[in-house]
Amino acid sequence: MTYTSDVVIIGGGIVGCASAYYLAKRGITNVIVLEGSDSIGHGGSSRNGGGVRQSGRDVRELPIAMYGIKNFWPTLSEELGVDTEYTQKGNLRLGKTEAHLKKLTTLANNAKSVGLEVSMIDGKQVREINPYLSEEVIGASWCPTDGHANPLTTTLGYYKRALEMGVKFFTSAEVVELRKIQGKVRQVITKDGAIFEGGDIILAAGYESRYIMNTVGLDIPMTKYLDSALVTEAQPKMFEQMLGTADADFYGHQTKHGSFVFGADCGLEGYMDMPLTRTESHPMTLSASCRAISGYIPLLSKAKIVRTWTGWMELTPDGVCVLGRPEETPGLILATAFNGHGFGTGPAVGYMMSQIVAGEAPAVDITPLRYERFMSNK
Amino acid sequence: MKVTRYDLIVIGAGPAGLSAAIEAAKKGVKPIVFDENAKPGGQLFKQIHKFFGSKEHKAKIRGFKIGEDLLKEAEEYGVEVVLNATVVGLYSEKEVVVKIGEEVKHFKGDAVLVATGAAENMVNFPGWTLPGVIGAGAAQTMMNLHHIKPGERVLMLGSGNVGLVVSFQLMQSGCEVVALADAAPRIGGYGVHAAKVARTGVPFYLSHTIKEVEGTDRVTGVTIAQVDSHFQFIPGTEKHFDVDTVCVAVGLSPMAQLLKMCGVEMVDTRGGFIPKCDDTGATSIPGVYAAGDVAGIEEASSAMIEGRMSGAAIATYLGYMTEEEKTERIAELEKALGSLRKGMFAPENRGKLIEKTDEGIDISMNLLEKGYVADEEIARFPGVTKRRKVHPVMECTQNIPCNPCQDACKKGCITIGDNITSLPIVDPSVDCINCGMCVASCSGQAIFLVEEEVEPGLGEVTMPYEFLPLPKEGDKGMGLGRDGREIVEVTVSRVRTSPAYDHTNLLTVKVPMEHLDAVRFYRPIA
Amino acid sequence: MLDIQGKLEEIGPYVPAADDDLLVCRCEEVTKGEIRKAVHQGITTIEEMRRYLRSGMGLCQGQTCGNMVKRIMAQELKVSPVEIVPATSRVPMRPIEMEIAAEDGGLES
Repeated sequence: MTYTSDVVIIGGGIVGCASAYYLAKRGITNVIVLEGSDSIGHGGSSRNGGGVRQSGRDVRELPIAMYGIKNFWPTLSEELGVDTEYTQKGNLRLGKTEAHLKKLTTLANNAKSVGLEVSMIDGKQVREINPYLSEEVIGASWCPTDGHANPLTTTLGYYKRALEMGVKFFTSAEVVELRKIQGKVRQVITKDGAIFEGGDIILAAGYESRYIMNTVGLDIPMTKYLDSALVTEAQPKMFEQMLGTADADFYGHQTKHGSFVFGADCGLEGYMDMPLTRTESHPMTLSASCRAISGYIPLLSKAKIVRTWTGWMELTPDGVCVLGRPEETPGLILATAFNGHGFGTGPAVGYMMSQIVAGEAPAVDITPLRYERFMSNK
Repeated sequence: MKVTRYDLIVIGAGPAGLSAAIEAAKKGVKPIVFDENAKPGGQLFKQIHKFFGSKEHKAKIRGFKIGEDLLKEAEEYGVEVVLNATVVGLYSEKEVVVKIGEEVKHFKGDAVLVATGAAENMVNFPGWTLPGVIGAGAAQTMMNLHHIKPGERVLMLGSGNVGLVVSFQLMQSGCEVVALADAAPRIGGYGVHAAKVARTGVPFYLSHTIKEVEGTDRVTGVTIAQVDSHFQFIPGTEKHFDVDTVCVAVGLSPMAQLLKMCGVEMVDTRGGFIPKCDDTGATSIPGVYAAGDVAGIEEASSAMIEGRMSGAAIATYLGYMTEEEKTERIAELEKALGSLRKGMFAPENRGKLIEKTDEGIDISMNLLEKGYVADEEIARFPGVTKRRKVHPVMECTQNIPCNPCQDACKKGCITIGDNITSLPIVDPSVDCINCGMCVASCSGQAIFLVEEEVEPGLGEVTMPYEFLPLPKEGDKGMGLGRDGREIVEVTVSRVRTSPAYDHTNLLTVKVPMEHLDAVRFYRPIA
Repeated sequence: MLDIQGKLEEIGPYVPAADDDLLVCRCEEVTKGEIRKAVHQGITTIEEMRRYLRSGMGLCQGQTCGNMVKRIMAQELKVSPVEIVPATSRVPMRPIEMEIAAEDGGLES
């Protein structure tokens, strides 16, 4: 069976779904999205802390985050017809030691250099913003324009809207091969042998992107890393900020529903030897996570955990994603390797994908994130 | 952090888990058993009724007694049982994280057996979340473990064995069961279980289900209505009952989450989401086993044998038992399990309409649709004979795996034979000595002793009676028919209790001769 | 491979039913109608349904409603319930207080 469309998008996560939506919005509705698993948003798009933040980001991707927060997030619920639960009440990155504060200050200075409003505040000021944080917190960076959203409804919102606008979605459509026709990447082959032909092919499949691009001789240096998170039962409304720490020992927020979603780990998850199809937890994660969280928010110690989950991240040597058309492979556009923080930038990345397909210059300069950047390493 | 290692970690101290631990411990395996409950035994301690089967299946012994015996045996073989121990997760490398008291502990097993049982299914209808709508299993827990009456007036939804057995127990605990409804066109459980409920006067509404449960803060009533073959309500068939409790007995689902979370290959079946495993419960992960309801819903009797089979396989896997020993033991256990899985209710017959017994006798359609064998149907079964002198009348009309009656009669009146599911045959040439052992031994309460003309115009019917207060000699009450209708006033002529009867009392009533073949239950006059 | 658009065309539009307001997931208060509607919006798996409506995401983690959601989705998608894959099982099996989960002796050397 051969399907033909203007654009084939590989990956039904937030980037794939948002790309499809923004393509359709500009009139390019002859689009096919292929999701390898049986569920839309089954990878990192549903397995993240929901951060919609700019602070703490590498300067190469910070402009994308800022662009998204300015242009998409505030009106996204209305646009997609789902509650994205977008809350813009700031991000606190917490420090417990002088070393933490030093690290936070460097990050804050970087951000300020590209025009982001971030300030360093002391422990007292931290607790004025969030009285639930323990006395162990001696300072934080504070970015009032950061926030969080619900990654589950946001991803499915893009999917639903794109579907309504005529985009075709296929699930359980595992891509095994890209095929060049006369020097241009044009065909996408799935496991069951179906051929999808597109004028442009967007590859947005997380770590699996690697296996797929390998079939046309491309490779991105990356490792896979299993990250873990936990969810509490609903709690009374406590605070609205997104939290992170200088020590990276936990991050998270309270959702609109009342439950807390926290990412945390025991430090050994990244060394678990499992195929990407498996997502079992590490036996030490739960306890280590609870210790970390209780150290920052003591009042939550009585809260019950109802679920934990894990998700695979793909990590590049320089910690940022790969966007754009590799010079070697006309017809192929990459939007992958998000290093575990691709949710907040998902809308802006999706939008820029539609711009690239349409032949426009992306809204922000993505050349620092190009595929070729790894070639000049050392 | 400390990880404590055991030969075998068993999760769930129910019939399957305990049996496996015992079987393995007998061979020298050191097992530890975790259970989240305060008491071991799983559902066994809620089972106050006598079990079916044969001697090797502990037939005619009440479930809780089987539980007590199992615990004694576990202790004898040094099986360590940790209670109030909730397993948080089963991880790769057979690591089990357990919440014990105010902390969590890490254990690893060379083998792990998951025997977590099943959870009750729910159905939703308007009002299903009102207090007073409860699972039948929950009702059983309230009554039999905590001695709390679930309600005063109850409607039971579901005519499987759970629905039937719990209905009977609700009445034993003093509740009034106003009706038993089931959307299916035929009763799902054993006919004898249905018959003992029907004869007390509980109406059965097959092809009926709940349309609405009424109430604002709690249940005050329920409306059921008839459904067509597509399970759509038929207008105008509504029946309303004032009740304070609606009991739901619509099946069980295996609680297989632990197996799934550690990566065991699973399979989705009509009977639930279960691990792929062989006859001994070995799953796709070497050393991880599953036994009992978690591997597919069956009776506790089967769960105990399955557990033993897993125990033997695990002992072999761990090197405590030779392959030859295992083969021999498994064959023995498979035979026992095989006989339990025979008859009309065998797994392969699920959902099938069986119209004739193995003996070629027409099954009573009244029994399947109304819960009782009609008076005109009963005589065709081989346990039902007519004589002047006292003799057993065995109203056992379906091929089920059960035979304690044949051993109960020391005189040899009763024969089932080698095939455990055969209907009992009464030999009219052998004299019954009226010992009552057969009556008390019948887990289905389907045996009566009948004697004609004990005095002019009167005969006697002796029936099993498990209600309190126990009537006294000379009491007058109403004789009820198989269908629960009031037939005639009767007088209690004898009340027998004995340790040998194991709490099944024998009530003998004097009945006018013309009703001798119809009266099968006694209701005290209020 | 599931062609979502094809599937949605096959099952036709959402048709309101009298029992649409019936509660299915009592922990998260999700109704039958919401589930049915979501199917016609393209939600075809239990996982997606959980993410979209929170059905089965509460305290009991779908222990009570899992099978009911499955049946409703199967009926709406015109497939057998066994074709609807149950939700992933995750730690913990039962809700556990953070302060208890924290005590696994992990800080001892």
